[in-house]
Amino acid sequence: MLLALRDVGKAWHIARTGERVPAVEAITLDVAAGEFLILLGPSGCGKSTLLQIMAGLELPSSGAIEFPTPTGSGKLTSMVFQEYALFPWRTVLANVGFGPEVRGVPRREREERARRLIELVNLRGAETRYPHELSGGMRQRVALARALANDPQILLFDEPLAALDAQTRRVMQDELLRIWAETGKTFVYVTHSLQEAVLLGTRIVLMTAGPGRIKQVEEVTLPRPRHLTGRAEAALLDRLDALLGEEVQRAMAS
Amino acid sequence: MTASHWRQLASVAGLLLAWQILVQAGRINPLFLPAPLSVLGAMWEMTRSGELPWAVLVSLNRVVQGFVYGSLAGVLLGLLAGAIRWVEDLLDPWVAAVYPIPKSALFPLFMLWFGLGNPSKILTIAVGVLFLVLVNTMAGVHAINPVLLKAARDLGASRAQIFVKVILPGALPSIFTGLRLGAGMALILVFITEIEATKAGLGFLLWEAFQLMDTRHVFVGVVTFGLLGVATTWLLQWLERVTCPWIQRSN
Repeated sequence: MLLALRDVGKAWHIARTGERVPAVEAITLDVAAGEFLILLGPSGCGKSTLLQIMAGLELPSSGAIEFPTPTGSGKLTSMVFQEYALFPWRTVLANVGFGPEVRGVPRREREERARRLIELVNLRGAETRYPHELSGGMRQRVALARALANDPQILLFDEPLAALDAQTRRVMQDELLRIWAETGKTFVYVTHSLQEAVLLGTRIVLMTAGPGRIKQVEEVTLPRPRHLTGRAEAALLDRLDALLGEEVQRAMAS
Repeated sequence: MTASHWRQLASVAGLLLAWQILVQAGRINPLFLPAPLSVLGAMWEMTRSGELPWAVLVSLNRVVQGFVYGSLAGVLLGLLAGAIRWVEDLLDPWVAAVYPIPKSALFPLFMLWFGLGNPSKILTIAVGVLFLVLVNTMAGVHAINPVLLKAARDLGASRAQIFVKVILPGALPSIFTGLRLGAGMALILVFITEIEATKAGLGFLLWEAFQLMDTRHVFVGVVTFGLLGVATTWLLQWLERVTCPWIQRSN
């Protein structure tokens, strides 16, 4: 186990009205090494908030986050954002090298590492380009390489493919699976797409509408490559669809 | 050259030619509007005698000093105020109070405090540049996408590293907007500060010519100011291209 959430809650304080709005409540969850964990839920269920807490970018309002195994020299988590969050003034190479750079890795070493990762995400030849010279799919590859550059144990994805067109999304889903298998890293992946959850996950955590709680956890043992039209996949899809449907209804009613 | 270029050239050449002909034909009194060629001649004489280059050097010295001090202070304060809340709180009321004052109105005060020499002129220019650069730098910092700051933090950057590696480059395009406006302001202010209590400079040269009703030399001053304006714009554009190669330009 790499990371454990113990009864974690997070509430946002709205200064204008003095309200406390709970985003997530009573989340207890273990992240196991090497899994592809999906956080699935309707919009506004607090799944991104949960990811930020895992990344250490937000502190939980209640409960605790634990890291049972010491992480060594690498970083425990790295985040891939939906809107890529690439630095527009840095080339692909310099974007990927940002993490090692601020952590004091010498230039030669970090450039070598960056080149290796750029190759891993299939972007060779784009090293000297700026982000605005890349397509959406290429930008997300850069973001992935940048997150890998700190050699984290866990990669956190915040709806990374939501901004892409359907074709590119399909390609990137396969790419993510390939890189997950090649690197052996642990992926924690937030999405509101059922199809994505079924295609990618080894475990699916289904969340309730806000405030987000864990509604159900599904182990997915289906063999790969998976196809949405396969019988087992379709059955899982139907089951999740019904569960998620309830939550979407609840979210719209409230 | 495209058709558009030819039309632009024709516009300028045609007007200058008409102007020259009208003056030579005696239809315009050269006391009000000297012919282009005679202005050019005066410019050549004054360049050969060293009068014009000296005036330009004296003014440029004031402009460059005022511009450099003002923009350095403006960039530094703007970055700090944009990045640190309490710095912004301390600066805000002063910016709100001083920004709307025409900076030329401060020149008499500075002369009272610092005398009639260069310091009061340079300070006036510096203050004029400072506020334009400061306001634009702050706007640039505020315009940085917060997710970039989050990503930098997630990748392990310290606060100081975020300041240097994210906030500074992120604000750079806006900083250049401020510098361009500041350069224009510096030329306006150097002229105003050279009208009174000066014995040298391009503004002085122009104003003295006006008092002697020497329209040719007034024109020499006006044209030279224009050339300085064009040169500073080019210089800043070049600097921006070199330091911000990532900015998308339409052409």
